[in-house]
Amino acid sequence: MRRKVVKLLFIVLLSVFGGSSAWSQEGGLTVSFQETPMQEAMLQLENLSGKSFYFHDQWFGDSTVSASFTNKSLSEILDSLFQNTEFNHYLLDNSQLIILRNNIIYDVLPDGFFQKDSIVEVPVETIVSRSQPVFNATDKRREELPIPTLRIGKDDPNSNRSSFILTGTLTDEKGSPAADVTLFVKALGAGTTTDKSGKYRIELPKGNNLIETRSLTYANLKKRVIIYNDGNLDFELPENLEELETVFLEGSARKNVEDATAGVTKIDVKEIKTIPLVLGERDVLKVATTLPGITTAGEGSAGYNVRGGKEDQNLILLDEGVVYNPAHFFGIFSGINPFTTEDVEIYKGNIPAEYGGRLSSVIDISSKDANVEKFAGEGSIGPVTGSLTLEMPLAKGKSGVLLGGRTTYSNWILRSLDDESLQNSEASFYDVIVKFNQEINEKNDLKATGYYSRDAFSITSDSLFNYSNRMVSVQWDHKINDNNRASAILTNSRYQFGIEFDGESNTDFDLNYDISETGLKVRFNSVLNESHSLDYGIATKYYVSNPGEIDPINGSSIASLEIQQEKALESALFISDEFNVSDKLLLSAGFRFSIFTALGSREQNVYVEGLPKNEDSLVEVRSFGNNEAIETYTGPEFRLAARYLLMPDLSIKASFNSTYQFVHTLTNNTTISPIDTWKLSDLNIEPQRANQVSLGLYQNLKDNDYQLSLEGYYKRAQNILDFKTGASILLNENIETEVIQGEGKSYGIEFLARKTKGRLNGWLGYTYSRSFIKMDSEFSEETINNGEFFPSNFDKPHDFSLVANYKMTKRFSFSANFVYQTGRPVTVPVGNFVINNSEFVLYSDRNAFRIPDYYRLDLSFNVEGNHKIKKLAHSFWNISVYNVLGRNNPYSVFFVNEAGEIKALQSSIFAIPVPTITYNFKF
Amino acid sequence: MKARTQKFWIVFMLIAMSVACVEEISFTTEELVSILVVEATITNENKVHTVKLSRSYEFEAEGPIVESNASISLESSQGSISFTETEPGTYQSSTSFSAQNNTDYVLRITTNEGKTYTSQNTQLTAATEIDQLYAEREVDDLNNEGVSIFVDSFNPNGDSQYYRYEYEETYKIIAPLWRLEDLIVINPEWPFCEVQKVPKEIEQRVCFATDTSNVLILGNTSALTEDRLERFQVRNIRRDNYILSHRYSILVRQFVQSRAAHTYFETLQEFSESESIFSQTQPGYFEGNIRSESNAEEPVAGFFEVSYVSEARIFFNWEDLFGEEPIPPYISPCFEFAPPRDLGHPTDRCGSLIVSLQNDEVVFTRDNPAGGNEFEGEYFVAAKECGHCTALGTNVVPEFWIE
Repeated sequence: MRRKVVKLLFIVLLSVFGGSSAWSQEGGLTVSFQETPMQEAMLQLENLSGKSFYFHDQWFGDSTVSASFTNKSLSEILDSLFQNTEFNHYLLDNSQLIILRNNIIYDVLPDGFFQKDSIVEVPVETIVSRSQPVFNATDKRREELPIPTLRIGKDDPNSNRSSFILTGTLTDEKGSPAADVTLFVKALGAGTTTDKSGKYRIELPKGNNLIETRSLTYANLKKRVIIYNDGNLDFELPENLEELETVFLEGSARKNVEDATAGVTKIDVKEIKTIPLVLGERDVLKVATTLPGITTAGEGSAGYNVRGGKEDQNLILLDEGVVYNPAHFFGIFSGINPFTTEDVEIYKGNIPAEYGGRLSSVIDISSKDANVEKFAGEGSIGPVTGSLTLEMPLAKGKSGVLLGGRTTYSNWILRSLDDESLQNSEASFYDVIVKFNQEINEKNDLKATGYYSRDAFSITSDSLFNYSNRMVSVQWDHKINDNNRASAILTNSRYQFGIEFDGESNTDFDLNYDISETGLKVRFNSVLNESHSLDYGIATKYYVSNPGEIDPINGSSIASLEIQQEKALESALFISDEFNVSDKLLLSAGFRFSIFTALGSREQNVYVEGLPKNEDSLVEVRSFGNNEAIETYTGPEFRLAARYLLMPDLSIKASFNSTYQFVHTLTNNTTISPIDTWKLSDLNIEPQRANQVSLGLYQNLKDNDYQLSLEGYYKRAQNILDFKTGASILLNENIETEVIQGEGKSYGIEFLARKTKGRLNGWLGYTYSRSFIKMDSEFSEETINNGEFFPSNFDKPHDFSLVANYKMTKRFSFSANFVYQTGRPVTVPVGNFVINNSEFVLYSDRNAFRIPDYYRLDLSFNVEGNHKIKKLAHSFWNISVYNVLGRNNPYSVFFVNEAGEIKALQSSIFAIPVPTITYNFKF
Repeated sequence: MKARTQKFWIVFMLIAMSVACVEEISFTTEELVSILVVEATITNENKVHTVKLSRSYEFEAEGPIVESNASISLESSQGSISFTETEPGTYQSSTSFSAQNNTDYVLRITTNEGKTYTSQNTQLTAATEIDQLYAEREVDDLNNEGVSIFVDSFNPNGDSQYYRYEYEETYKIIAPLWRLEDLIVINPEWPFCEVQKVPKEIEQRVCFATDTSNVLILGNTSALTEDRLERFQVRNIRRDNYILSHRYSILVRQFVQSRAAHTYFETLQEFSESESIFSQTQPGYFEGNIRSESNAEEPVAGFFEVSYVSEARIFFNWEDLFGEEPIPPYISPCFEFAPPRDLGHPTDRCGSLIVSLQNDEVVFTRDNPAGGNEFEGEYFVAAKECGHCTALGTNVVPEFWIE
């Protein structure tokens, strides 16, 4: 923290005459003026004193001075010269002297200005003002530039409006949008933050307003705006070189306390630059797992568990389009390119009403907008992957395109392994992203994103697995008027996997699976008045799933089988209101009404109600025609949140959140696998639903430098999918006979402390949470663990993370991660028994045991290239060591029967310290 | 397929920069007590029925631990039938009885420790007879030739659907090197090392051996349009299995199961046959229909069944299926060899012939005129089963046996 003492600057806007300046000057000056023009006198004094003088050269006009001073202080000289004029002076930090007209600068406050103690620089002299001035408090920062005054709009004498809307776009010096910059008017206690496109919108009272900006990336600016009508103000923010590598965005610092939404986590990609990497890959979603409430089942396992929810309960959106499985290499790397990502917002508590269809969370990933001013690029070379990102303006200032690609060259690793069978295997992946953004005109913006990722791996020479994600989204933003905005978003996503088996016997086959969805969302935002802001709209999605198809190849004897195609329509109406009840109380009330209809043509089995679904209870097979409604489910979902400011930097938030989910992954593996299929709800599989309540305390300390939060939640879920023990899922024509739907229960308390600024920054998170599942039924086949709640596969009660970054100099920094987690539950065989001469294995109750605890320390050292602006390329080196302690953390536990004796084995992914060096460059 | 899809986990771990590691860990399972295992199938046959009780055992341990001194009763509207322990862990009903239709049966077990276990109400399953049991010569997908034993069964009412099979196979064994005389040891002490040929006193040429099935054989017609099992293979014997050599008989017992019982056994089978060591499939304890009265959460293995049973037996000879083709090789290669009888001086010990005969490991096959030194004895011998069929079976012709 550079600025330890709050220095306050007060400007009197009234024309106050008299008073004296409040600074002392030790060294004396000797000077004389003879009919010297005032302006010239000032310049002479500037030279003599060695201080910078600030004034307007037209202020002094033709006035002259005649006076002689010997060994007088600058203050005394100026006091004398300005006597009987309208000028005042003020010395700022001993090197800058500001000359003011009609204004006086006070550096002491009138009594009662603060409710409580504040640190104020004690003045040497005290001003005694004759008139009680009107104070507008503004936070002054050393690096501030002089405040320009701008007039917006023409005063319309006929208007009786008392406030106006100011809109505009903030850009950096290169013309790229400056996102997440906070603009605020301290006097009003009002503010806003720029969106991803750098756009902002703020309501200002008529007349004089001092707008200030706060941002990590950019210098803090002040603009004095005299507003007479609605208008536009675009401006550039110079880059803040001093704080270039500071970790946290101050722009959103206050959001923590002031937003009504509880349980939202934001990760800015710039923040994670220095965090130690696994195999040199910067990974936004992996960083998310160091924050409370977000975990993975195991090291390197794909899928995320948010607040005790299953992996399929997260809506992962990339520029509003769903990505089903954003994982490479079984989950060691995420499929999200960090270089094209702007930020990731994870809603784990209260989900905005515009999102739905998943129970636990929304992971909203936003890509960067391309630089529309000049060509830029960024690249990275690591031991496993290489990546290149290019930003190209298409029409200067209007449109640009962002291209990002990553690929692996990991095959050499396989080839270099000793194991002969693996030398022929391959594992490769790549992902590409293209984003186009265009400002059509002041009212219309267009954005389009395309994403494709693909993994292929073969383990033995006879089988080849592949899976891919595809996503396209087009978003059109339209400003209807100052208070109303609209967006239309069209998306299409597809997930696919395939297995090609080409072995020695006549059982060669080709197996394929895919699911696709096409969605349209139209949303509106209306600002009704100062206290109500509405978001509303409609969304609809069309799903087509081909649950599995197997075909013989090479003339094999495998029988062809195709599971019936599934189709469905999921639609929703949503509305939410941000209601500013008072300065302290903010309510956010959202309602979403979801309708899901499973569509034909299909044949559906109908079972006797109340009996386990099986051949015995099968009543009939019903046929549905093309697009005929098979079953419709409706779901009212409430998204309620309230924030109460106990103090300006301390708030309490409560929320209630209900969600429905209509698509489910089918997996009977203990961790997620790329060949898990998605199943649409239908006659026999009901939608999952969940309710969550949460309560939290949020406090920012020391000017948002420290952010503390403590959140507790309790969640209940119904119709969570599980499977009968030993179910077979892939290519099962009657999957409903294997499914059990049960209850979920999870609760936890999450503590997070962040230090956002300074040489040492980072965060510390601790979560105590439990996650349980209950499968109870009067039929034993649908009962697990006697129908009691049992720990889910990802129930890890204690989860501690520490991420710290220490900046030694501007160029060198050092980072460390430490993670500790309770070992996850597993089911283990506990014995054998014999029935009818056959020997069987006896397993413990589901998840009755735990694998050993997990802990890991990673370190990294970062070297930043120098900051010369004219340099061809900025470079950044990251030297990381993953798992410094060499802890043998188990990834999976399994059992082998060796000579009649069953042994428990654990496998670890990274059992020894893994060093990597990554080189990043930017141009 | 299943095993294959799971294989990628292996690679996954290996490719992880070859820093991956697999090591043995220990699980503390001491808290787990061994659980009661119940083997109880009551049938419609009028006979003394048997219930077996045992306990599960640790992997390191050998075989099941029997559960003795329990009291067992079978209760129904027709009264209570008690079971008494006839040998450790095996309990037999005090009277002969047959399970009746539309009667709820409850099995009640009180262990020596005083814990009570009760089954759910169980009724006799629907009656379905074995229509036909037959053997056919068959070549499977992998080009292995053999004999398959097939069952055809049909229930026109469609209310059976789930079947479990047990078999008992009996085959004639003819010792290939059977001789009229045996060689016996008269004096095993050196320098005597005396043996003598004596005429056989018991039948050791033709014997009969009986094996029972030791795997679960489950069949179901639930996925079929009618409750008809056709050509359901209960047993496959490779062409080169010596049990086919002469005359073979198989008794197949078909138990009609309830769906719950069927599912239970199917799942047990699946978890115990898992080949893939990297399997991440979710296993678990699977409840049957017997519960502990004292502690509802105590796991119990086994399923109390009241099954309609039908059985069928067939006989066939090698020639019936294979004609004049050469019979399969005998169970052992039956090499004749002449181990030394006397190792002479300076060893001053009898040869291995004496020891082998004493241990009942070899049988006499013929004289060895060239023998009689420390390297070669005077008699050719072969592995015991080559001359004594009683090494493999019984010389008593089974009651059911028809030539």
